[in-house]
Amino acid sequence: MKTEEPLVSGPGLEMDTMFVNLGPQHPSTHGVLRLGLTLAGEVITKAFPDIGYLHRGTEKLMETRSYHQCVVLTDRWDYCSAMPNNLAFCLAAEKLMAVQAPPRAQALRVITCELNRIASHLIFLGTYGIDIGAFTPFLYAFREREMILDLYEALCGARLTYNYIRLGGVASDVDADWTAKCREFLEFFKPRLDEYDTLLSFNPIFLARTKGIGVIPKETAAAWGLSGPNLRGSGAAYDVRKSEPYCGYETYDFDVPLGETGSCWDRYFCRVQEMRQSVRIVEAALAALPGGDLMAKGIAKLPKPPAGEAYAHVEASRGDLGIFLVSDGGTAPYRLHVRAPCFINLAILQDILVGKKVADVIAVLGSFDIVLGEVDR
Amino acid sequence: MGYFKEVSSASWAFCEGLWITLRYLFKPSVTVQYPTEKLVPYERFRGLLLFDAATCIACGLCAKACPSACIALEAQTHPETKKRVPKAEWYSLDLGKCNFCGLCQEACPTKPKSVWHSLDYELAFSTRDDMVRCWKPGFPLAGRVWDPVQKAFRDPESHISVREVQARI
Ligand code: SF4
Ligand code: SF4
Repeated sequence: MKTEEPLVSGPGLEMDTMFVNLGPQHPSTHGVLRLGLTLAGEVITKAFPDIGYLHRGTEKLMETRSYHQCVVLTDRWDYCSAMPNNLAFCLAAEKLMAVQAPPRAQALRVITCELNRIASHLIFLGTYGIDIGAFTPFLYAFREREMILDLYEALCGARLTYNYIRLGGVASDVDADWTAKCREFLEFFKPRLDEYDTLLSFNPIFLARTKGIGVIPKETAAAWGLSGPNLRGSGAAYDVRKSEPYCGYETYDFDVPLGETGSCWDRYFCRVQEMRQSVRIVEAALAALPGGDLMAKGIAKLPKPPAGEAYAHVEASRGDLGIFLVSDGGTAPYRLHVRAPCFINLAILQDILVGKKVADVIAVLGSFDIVLGEVDR
Repeated sequence: MGYFKEVSSASWAFCEGLWITLRYLFKPSVTVQYPTEKLVPYERFRGLLLFDAATCIACGLCAKACPSACIALEAQTHPETKKRVPKAEWYSLDLGKCNFCGLCQEACPTKPKSVWHSLDYELAFSTRDDMVRCWKPGFPLAGRVWDPVQKAFRDPESHISVREVQARI
């Protein structure tokens, strides 16, 4: 299963190139991404991702919104996993205001973020299967994801845009019912992961389509600034939860799964294994859920953090999500910048797609698990 | 040889996969047959916003809390003294802009809340006019819609019935 180089050499043998638009309305671009591909026969000679179709200007918009209102807007970046977005913004703002969430809120933040990681990776698993041509795993993955969304609905009232993690804590508490349901889900979910492995991960057809395709060496991945499972698929052990723990991640025992070669399959399998680790974290966090308050004291209705800057980053489902927040002492952020993992992960496409065949484009693109809401913001 | 090995391993994986799906074939289906079957959301669900002009004190806190500026209201004035009365003259909400974030409900100081999320999730609009709900004293909880052609308020057309049970805290 080698991808051949184009046979264009020698006088009179120059091949005509063809320009193909992939997207913006292509189901496999997972949103509105346009890929401009220049083809020589079946082989790509030039690729450029064209973004901006979903630009909503939230960074600018936040400069006119109060800090509590900003949390609502953060939900809209990576809508497949909105909890880490909430968290990253709140951590940055809390740094500015010099407050810390109480222990119970921190544990709940960890639980909800890890559940969100599972839900988000399940979307990836399902849709990547579809991209490659396996429809069944999608249905199973969405069944499990539905259970997580139900948990969220019972906890915070929304299924996608949670607005759950607030400045200084979290919005609502869990009760015994909810924790029982969550444990029940985890028990149900663990054997399902083995099913996915049978259905998809080790299916020879899937392996043939993804193993050895779109290989990114460790150094290239680091040079392009990849993060999250895309970087770890290449074998680089970088995880914000380990390197700069927040919300008490240092107290949980979990592994950071690594890929070997950095091919599409490694990136895929990294995510599958991450789900197992997330289950472990949620179980540990549920078992050691401390009591106490949900909200830190002293968060005003209209917070005015002292002038200054703060940077906070979290390991979101798709990578290292960072928020740089500048305050001038007013009620709204003076400037906010998002280090969006999807946006940075996307850039490498123009490099690694060259020399691949058209049929591999979808496999490579899908393996990056981009969400255009976060790319364009 | 390699060819046959590939074929046999692929067919074996095929059978393994089918075995999993076959086992599910005899388990009860998890699909909900919408619209004949409908799920009732959880207590905290943030659905369609409702408003009650009878309890509202026209403080405007909800409008201030809203991140997308979709709430507008005006307080009544006393006919003789021309002073502001804590009652809403009109209250309007643009569901086309609403985030369903719940900040307005949290900001509302009255008990029970004057603006609150119902459990209703079946929101579909066929016109933009229908998205803007308006309330005046005596209007139903789901509000009414201003019809620019008839120059009169009418009941929203494209929206489906509001559920009987409302979570109103
Ligand atoms: S739910 Fe949020 S967006 Fe909608 S009206 Fe209330 S505050 Fe505004
Ligand atoms: S709905 Fe509540 S917050 Fe809004 S004006 Fe009326 S009383 Fe005030």
